[in-house]
Amino acid sequence: MRWKSKRLLFLLPGFAGVMLFYLLPFFEVARRSFVKSGNNAFVGMDHYRAVVENGAFMLAVRNTFLYMAVGVPLLMGISLMLSLLLRGLLQRRRLVSAMLLPMAVPAAVMVLTLQILIDRQGVINGVVTKVSEQIAALPVFDAIDYLNTEWALAVVVCSFLWKNTGYMVILWLAGLSALPKEVEEAAQVDGANRWQNWHYIIRPGLSGSFFTIGMLSVLQIFKSYREVWMVAGSYPQEHIYFLQHLLQNWYLKLEFDRMAALTVILSLVLLCVCLLLQKRLEAG
Amino acid sequence: MRKKIRVWFATGICAAAAALICAPLLMIPSGSLMDSVEMRRILAPILGEGKGFAVWHLIPFYPTIGHFYRLLIESPAFYQLFWNTVGMTAAILAGQLVVGLPSAWAFAAFRFRGRDFLFGLYVVLMLLPFQVMLLPQYIVLQKLQLYNHPAAVILPAIFSTFPVFIMYRGFTQIEGEILEAARLDGAGEMQIFLQIGLPLGKMGIQAAIVLSFLEYWNLVEQPMAFLEEQAMWPLSLYLPQIAVSQAGFAFAVAVMVLIPALFVFALGQDALEEGIAYIGVKT
Repeated sequence: MRWKSKRLLFLLPGFAGVMLFYLLPFFEVARRSFVKSGNNAFVGMDHYRAVVENGAFMLAVRNTFLYMAVGVPLLMGISLMLSLLLRGLLQRRRLVSAMLLPMAVPAAVMVLTLQILIDRQGVINGVVTKVSEQIAALPVFDAIDYLNTEWALAVVVCSFLWKNTGYMVILWLAGLSALPKEVEEAAQVDGANRWQNWHYIIRPGLSGSFFTIGMLSVLQIFKSYREVWMVAGSYPQEHIYFLQHLLQNWYLKLEFDRMAALTVILSLVLLCVCLLLQKRLEAG
Repeated sequence: MRKKIRVWFATGICAAAAALICAPLLMIPSGSLMDSVEMRRILAPILGEGKGFAVWHLIPFYPTIGHFYRLLIESPAFYQLFWNTVGMTAAILAGQLVVGLPSAWAFAAFRFRGRDFLFGLYVVLMLLPFQVMLLPQYIVLQKLQLYNHPAAVILPAIFSTFPVFIMYRGFTQIEGEILEAARLDGAGEMQIFLQIGLPLGKMGIQAAIVLSFLEYWNLVEQPMAFLEEQAMWPLSLYLPQIAVSQAGFAFAVAVMVLIPALFVFALGQDALEEGIAYIGVKT
């Protein structure tokens, strides 16, 4: 019996910390989402109703969905295409490292360069204007104020792609390397063309990866708040006002009742994503 | 011949993508060496001092190390912020290893009741964004009277479940038979962990260290939420406070932030790629 309890000692210190800093306070928040702060009177779903009826909440939900609908397919498509091209290249390692470099660049550093590039009178608008002046066939370019118009979402999506493409390329390459080589070789001997190779062999073989990488991309959307906040601040253009802004701003205004309810809502949604993903990350 | 063209084509596209990703970073060293007058002139439109558009010189006309002189010699506050970042990152990494390694080993080497459920919980926690944990952690930090103390950032990070997951993945690469054989030979659990687990699970441990370093060197939300005094802030939170009119100085700070991160990136590249692949592949 003794050796068994000794084994649990390995897990205990870590688990105690997870309980203290993550699980117990989370349950406390779940409890608070149903009671009035101060006198602890049960208020049922009042806080939840307050969240759902809040105009900023609906705006943030719409924006978050739109961001996801644009960002996830683009990220998955671009990274898959790149990893298919990279497969079997001699320079593959070096190219993958270069694509991964943004992981090592702190957000604060990137924001500095971004400010200079995307300002209304910034470098990008300058280059585009020059090009459109040179080529007579192009219409006159009107400088875009990227951060203060609906283009803000495009900026956010580009920074999301910049940051995460390398990460997803590695995941696709891992999925591709798990495909048995013999099948493709046999198909090639039998005269399959590249499209058939993709359609009948690679795509079905990657179906698991599609799912995993899709879910991870969705979760990365939610983790990409840091860059958005640094570029655009706490009250950005209305197209890039996300759920995280709402949580952050309610936190600063000490509106803990609504914040508790929103925390529960958001974590339940993300829990569903995680559970779907989990089937594939499960411990053996 | 056709194959050769295809390889060139693929290499070309991938190289273009890689160049596009890396290009903005070239602005950082050039900006840090650019004379303030030149910087003011080329950025005048952004600073609201001129019409037209800003341009950029990748090679400054009048290179100077003035910004580094001002930063490294004349700004004692910089060292405080720099060592704040170093101290925070070091404390978090050390804590994660001390607490996380045995946890990861427990999940990898032992079967116990509730293991799958518990591991599932750890995975969910590692995938949640910080904002979801903002209020819960604020509550517990208030209770422990740690709010506005560096421990408010360090302690929750030490118990992050992400490094546990990565190190667990490293440990699962070890053949079960090796452990069985060691047990049959009468090795204690501690001995097996230290003499078999740690050396053979090295890749996972390195991956966890690299991923954690890059994450915590870049800390923004946690110190912003839990540290009121600027004197405790890490550099990553201080840098965006520098106004664009001080761009040269800001770029010099950026270089100092970037150097350690690039150093770890270069050293730990294999581990980093391995670690990312752990996240996506089913065991």
